[in-house]
Amino acid sequence: MKVCLGFAFPGLPIQRMEREVATYTEFNAPGNNTDFAGQPNVAKDWNDQMSYIFGTSTTSVSAYLSKHGGGTCQFYNPVTQGRAEPDLPASVTDIPWNGFPKKFDSKTPGQAPNYVGAEGPVAAGTNRNQDEYLEWFVVQKAGKIVSVQFTCEAYDYFQFLASELPAKVLELYQTYISPQVTMADLFPNGAGTDYDYLNKWNTELGAMHLTHPANNLFAEVFLAASATVRRSQHGAEITQTIPLIKCSQYGDAGRNSDPAIGAAVNGLARDGRYVTIADPVGLYMSGFNGAGLTLNGNDASGFFKVVRGAFPMALRAIYELTPELQAQGLTVSDVQLNGKPLSYGGQLAERITMHIAGRATVSQNLHNTPITTCGSVPQVKPPQPAESSAKALLLSSR
Amino acid sequence: MNAEKTSDEQEVLLESDEIQGNILAGFNKDHQTLIALGIGDLPAARAWLTRVAPHISSLSEVAQFNGLFKARRRRLGHDPVGLIATWVNIAFSYDGVAKLKSAAIAGQVPDDAFKDGLPKRAASLGDVPTGGATGTAGWVMGGEGRVPDILLIVASDDSSEMALLADQLTPGTGDLGGAPVVLWKEVGDTRSDLPGHEHFGFKDGVSQPAVRGLLSKSPDVYLAVRELLPPAAGAISFATPGSPLVWPGEFVFGYPSNNDSDGTAVAPAPLPSWVRNGSLLVFRRLQQDVAGFAGFLRASAAALASTSDFPNMTPERLGATLVGRWPSGTPILRAEIKDDPDIAKDPQSVNDFLYANDSVAPRFKEGYGTAKPLPPAKGDPNGFVCPHAAHIRKVNPRDQDSDKGDQFDTLTRRILRRGIPFGPPLPAPPGGQLPADDGVERGLHFLCYQTSIVQQFELLQTDWANSTANPKAGGHDLIIGQPGTPIREVELATSVGNSQIVQTNRTFVMMTGGGYFFSPSISSLQNFLAVP
Repeated sequence: MKVCLGFAFPGLPIQRMEREVATYTEFNAPGNNTDFAGQPNVAKDWNDQMSYIFGTSTTSVSAYLSKHGGGTCQFYNPVTQGRAEPDLPASVTDIPWNGFPKKFDSKTPGQAPNYVGAEGPVAAGTNRNQDEYLEWFVVQKAGKIVSVQFTCEAYDYFQFLASELPAKVLELYQTYISPQVTMADLFPNGAGTDYDYLNKWNTELGAMHLTHPANNLFAEVFLAASATVRRSQHGAEITQTIPLIKCSQYGDAGRNSDPAIGAAVNGLARDGRYVTIADPVGLYMSGFNGAGLTLNGNDASGFFKVVRGAFPMALRAIYELTPELQAQGLTVSDVQLNGKPLSYGGQLAERITMHIAGRATVSQNLHNTPITTCGSVPQVKPPQPAESSAKALLLSSR
Repeated sequence: MNAEKTSDEQEVLLESDEIQGNILAGFNKDHQTLIALGIGDLPAARAWLTRVAPHISSLSEVAQFNGLFKARRRRLGHDPVGLIATWVNIAFSYDGVAKLKSAAIAGQVPDDAFKDGLPKRAASLGDVPTGGATGTAGWVMGGEGRVPDILLIVASDDSSEMALLADQLTPGTGDLGGAPVVLWKEVGDTRSDLPGHEHFGFKDGVSQPAVRGLLSKSPDVYLAVRELLPPAAGAISFATPGSPLVWPGEFVFGYPSNNDSDGTAVAPAPLPSWVRNGSLLVFRRLQQDVAGFAGFLRASAAALASTSDFPNMTPERLGATLVGRWPSGTPILRAEIKDDPDIAKDPQSVNDFLYANDSVAPRFKEGYGTAKPLPPAKGDPNGFVCPHAAHIRKVNPRDQDSDKGDQFDTLTRRILRRGIPFGPPLPAPPGGQLPADDGVERGLHFLCYQTSIVQQFELLQTDWANSTANPKAGGHDLIIGQPGTPIREVELATSVGNSQIVQTNRTFVMMTGGGYFFSPSISSLQNFLAVP
């Protein structure tokens, strides 16, 4: 919370950010979206699902630490295990990364990113090869880019929604992808059963939510929890980013995201802090750099619109011209970046900053001993929560 | 091959008679003239280039002189009197190469920013508003339609020698009619009152990467003297404390560059032979509002001092917090409360610090290092001492991860800075009063070399300095950041959970001109660009 305190030359205030405590009464929908509005049972099921994910994560890490003599789990469920002490300022535990996949980024001086490889077409039943928790789809017509859809909504959230509110899923598809989407397209075996999350509208024809196997909320939480495990090798604690992820195996060392998340969390754990992820849990777009985008010499950054959530918790965005400009025959291909026409959605994706909002206690009271073992934390599942969400939980555990 | 060498030291021989001297060795002169030229008549331009080419200073010459100068200074305890040199380097814009050869050949230089030219990139950089009506028209040089074809650099320890040579090389009556015309010319000088400091008062150019490579073999002479023993496996190698070794391909075409995952060498991409041994030069004429910055520091420090979070804040400390170093060059991570100029004078300590981790005591080779080294610097992973938005942390996050990768990726973003102030210092009024603006223009001729303007200089400016989120959240770089928003801000976080946000609606560093250039090898200049 910002509190105005005084005035600095030439007349701007300095502002105080008051410290906060990460204790929540419930987990809310990603980006505080209103998909559950008026549906308290669904909201409860979502809270249960998230608690189950946190529970699985803390149970697994606790068991792993116990087995290897690593001490107490420093990751916690902020709803069921909320801590009384304040947290570090939110900016300190914010973890950013670039949305364009590192594996397609340029490696040698002068080499352009592999935009073609990053956004090649995918068929129904297959996932996009975009693994930074941001995926995009380029809508083309007659060889021109009409719009670019960006999403960072995890597929396990949509699996949950599909199991609870299939009509809502259809509504979202019809709103953001096409009015032509039918229930049968999404649920080949009948509404509410067997949501086909790699359906054609989410692959060949659009991007409703993330498709890459790694791009899910369970993975986000489990990665963060696993990264609280301190590791050592050859008598020294591992503190470097890549050696850490290679030893801990909590993600893919070849990405922007996973190594950065793991290293940041592990650093907080090494400080002796308790760590968690802020509610609402999600992988979000925090900003878009539109400087240098022009259309007919005018600023074209405003054509990037967040349509679900809001910065810094944006879930979905689209880059497209206004209907008036489209009526004039203009397309996104007429937009220029540094004076040259836009050719790829990836040119916009690399201007999107992604982030997760970590939380960590001010206190530094927990001093675990680094374990000398390398390897991933095996999943240990706690008892199932409410019956109503069991189906969704099974879906999310891939 | 010497059997005692480690693989870390198996390095390439630099073609030091081919590479222009300012790129890897640095002129390091007190006086430097920049001359921007426009090509008119091609035969006359080529004739002028042929006349200038023998004056171009090579890496070999400059490195030898710098070595001699340092040796004499070490022996004397002060700069040697009378030991002077006057150097010349040259670079060409895309338009310049296109005029001399062809657009297709100019397009062989592998960098989109170079091909576009600075005016087209200015909006992305925040130099001008995106879609603004005036654009770069107000720049004193290099604006749209006024991009120079050639940038000539003449630098010397002696201003009169520099002026003499600059006059001699300036196209004139001795040249063919239609020789390149002077579009702009300006002299930069180190501050006589504070040598090595920029106009805000801070020591400049303290941290530079150490470039791998040999100047000669048998005996092996490294470009960057190796004072330290090789590190543990997987760690970054340093030449001296705080100066990481970077493969030369990050700065000169045709050499191995850095693998962004582990720092190992990556073979250079195939290039036309004329591009080899060349480098990309960014020039930015940055005007500085010294009085405005001082006023901002004083008022903001007073406001912070009135809070319980920063009761001991002073303008000097706030300045050091926003820069990351005290005016002496001492890093704030080695002196949190007040400046300690002795640290700045200690080459073993002035640059030896990390952010994410505590630094480790350097392991010197025999014959290097001091008997009583300072203890290793404490890390500051959360930015409580040196905020994530501090200038030096923004543009070089060292061992802290960025949005683009880890410390090995950051090595691929490094640039070699060769800046020098222009304009007279703003006199400090007596009695600690705030200086008033005297209406005299002053600033920095910022020059830097790299092999990818897009992935190096532009990334530092656009993705990091201009951003509140990258490389880590915490605000803008209040020194050079230009996000295009009315207000810029920095968050000063505390270890007890509160933080203060300092804001300003003023810009203290203003872009007033510049350009993107290619600095070719000496043989490419003589035998390729200067001939039809």
